[in-house]
Amino acid sequence: MKRYDLVVVGAGPSGLSAAIEAAGRGMHVIVFDENEKPGGQLFKQIHKFFGSKEHKARVRGFRIGQELLEEAGRTGVEVCLRATVIGLYQDHELVVRIGDAIEHVKGDTIIIATGASENMVTFEGWTLPGVIGAGAAQTLMNLHGVLPGKRVLMLGSGNVGLVVSYQLMQCGCEVAAVADAAPHIGGYGVHAAKIARCGVPFYLSHTIKKAEGTDHVTGVEIAQVDEHFQFIPGTEKHFDVDTICIAVGLSPMSQLLKMAGARMADDPKKGGQVPVCGRFGATSLPGVFTAGDVAGIEEASSAMIEGRMAGAAAAAYLGFMNEDACEKREKQLTDSLSELRQGMFAPQNKGKQLTVTDEGIPLSKTLLTKGYVSDEEIEAFPGFTHRVGVHPVIECTQNIPCNPCQDVCPKNCISIGDQITALPKVAGGAECVGCGMCVASCSGQAIFLVDEDKGDGTAEVTIPYEFLPLPAQGTVGTALSRSGQPLCRASVVQIRSGKAFDKTNLLTMSVPKEFAMRARFFRADKEAAK
Amino acid sequence: MSEASEKQKAMKLAQEAAASRVNDRSRDIGEFVPAPDDDIIVCRCEEVTKGEIRKAVHDGMWTVTEVRRYLRTGMGLCQGQTCGRLVKGIIARELGISPALLEPATSRVPMRPLEMHIFANEEKEE
Repeated sequence: MKRYDLVVVGAGPSGLSAAIEAAGRGMHVIVFDENEKPGGQLFKQIHKFFGSKEHKARVRGFRIGQELLEEAGRTGVEVCLRATVIGLYQDHELVVRIGDAIEHVKGDTIIIATGASENMVTFEGWTLPGVIGAGAAQTLMNLHGVLPGKRVLMLGSGNVGLVVSYQLMQCGCEVAAVADAAPHIGGYGVHAAKIARCGVPFYLSHTIKKAEGTDHVTGVEIAQVDEHFQFIPGTEKHFDVDTICIAVGLSPMSQLLKMAGARMADDPKKGGQVPVCGRFGATSLPGVFTAGDVAGIEEASSAMIEGRMAGAAAAAYLGFMNEDACEKREKQLTDSLSELRQGMFAPQNKGKQLTVTDEGIPLSKTLLTKGYVSDEEIEAFPGFTHRVGVHPVIECTQNIPCNPCQDVCPKNCISIGDQITALPKVAGGAECVGCGMCVASCSGQAIFLVDEDKGDGTAEVTIPYEFLPLPAQGTVGTALSRSGQPLCRASVVQIRSGKAFDKTNLLTMSVPKEFAMRARFFRADKEAAK
Repeated sequence: MSEASEKQKAMKLAQEAAASRVNDRSRDIGEFVPAPDDDIIVCRCEEVTKGEIRKAVHDGMWTVTEVRRYLRTGMGLCQGQTCGRLVKGIIARELGISPALLEPATSRVPMRPLEMHIFANEEKEE
């Protein structure tokens, strides 16, 4: 039987991070993953991540995946793919299916980082081809280059539902609507705003009544639900769609730990059955640790830190690290993790309905129900400034742990301060040179450059633009509002696509000056787009 | 201090009451009432409907394991990866309890479906 200092199950963000941390301390590490490619969900994440520099903020998920793989290679981690761990037994023995053979492997320490699986909901017709998980849609689009459908209804307004809706539009699908049985949008407001300004309607307190079609989805009927989640008769709405995406949460895949006899608990806040964990991912089984979604649903950035923690803990368990060094390292990681677990979406705030920001500004209600901040509400936020000349207008209205805008501005125009969840402010006195780094770096695409008065009755608005084909300079079209409504005629005066922008193009459009603070998206005329 | 112990006592009582709602088989859960969505398939692999699961609860199957043995829910190709949570929810609703109180299905080898000829193809110890 092969023996390793550490066996990691799952080569996603937490598993790879754990392996790297442990291998860096001299441990002999192998990572098993049942998929053809490593990286877990990271290689489907084409959007830029939130957080601070230390958390790889403003780096796209798949690039973080590439970095992790390279680091794993450098530290001597062995990554074994198409290897399904089918059993975890006493005495740290694992049974792995590799190809057509069954192998037994022993790990002096084991880290379970198996992640999570998508939840499903049932409704009439849910078994029809065309009803798919949002994660499946992402796999089709971003790993295999296959269009999931032409017109999609998204059920679920958490970050997965919002991010996948945007990606569906990026790959050329039309998103007919986003529905959610909850009364409020569950994900980040900035993610919702990105799709609302493209014209996608939100239906909160609505869920799917039935999928229509005989051998595949041809439409969907949604209806409003009351506070007990019962349908309200007469509120039915129909959409012609060929695909229904389900993004209603994730469940930890913790079966291996349960099988091995680890103490488990059913914790709805963590997404279901999770191992009861001590410090740094230690399960009730000595030498068996866990990290990432399997121990409680969160997101990739925190999963990577949890992986590091479990890796260091495993190293200390076997004596590859002395206790002092381990304590020091864990302290560092704990601080980094608590920085991420702040703000209104932090685990401790789950289920709470906040009404004001940390700054005491009323939270936008339209953002929570319709996906955009209304013209009246937006004026209250510190990043929403009026000025002469070009200047950033920051439509970041919820306290989330993220600060790249502050880091990238070469003129120090934008300040967040030491509290990473604070809303960004545009500093008085500092001079904006219009470089656009803030626009391209904002993971929530919530920063715009506005020159409110060009002196000839027009204004120029620079927006982040991540769609193809890229309109050429001179293209005419319509400027859309935050809610996706057509506002006025607009023409493209400049397109910038610098390397530092990492594929977020900056589209500058000219609009009549009265629309300077409302025009937030550009749609080219059909003829012009050809 | 007494307040804390009172609280603990109340919590223990609540837990016992909840446990008895799962374990007390003499409890009256009412008649099976047909519902319009009873013919929706819940376990796709074994083609088990919501109505069949609800009926099974009224036939006395009060745990995930019992329903599983009775109807084969979660025993098909995906091993309950999709329906596990749904079945649990249906049983819990029928019993009038929180799904968190129900023990999920047993986890056992093999964790993923695999062909018997591979399962038997163990490496030989040198």
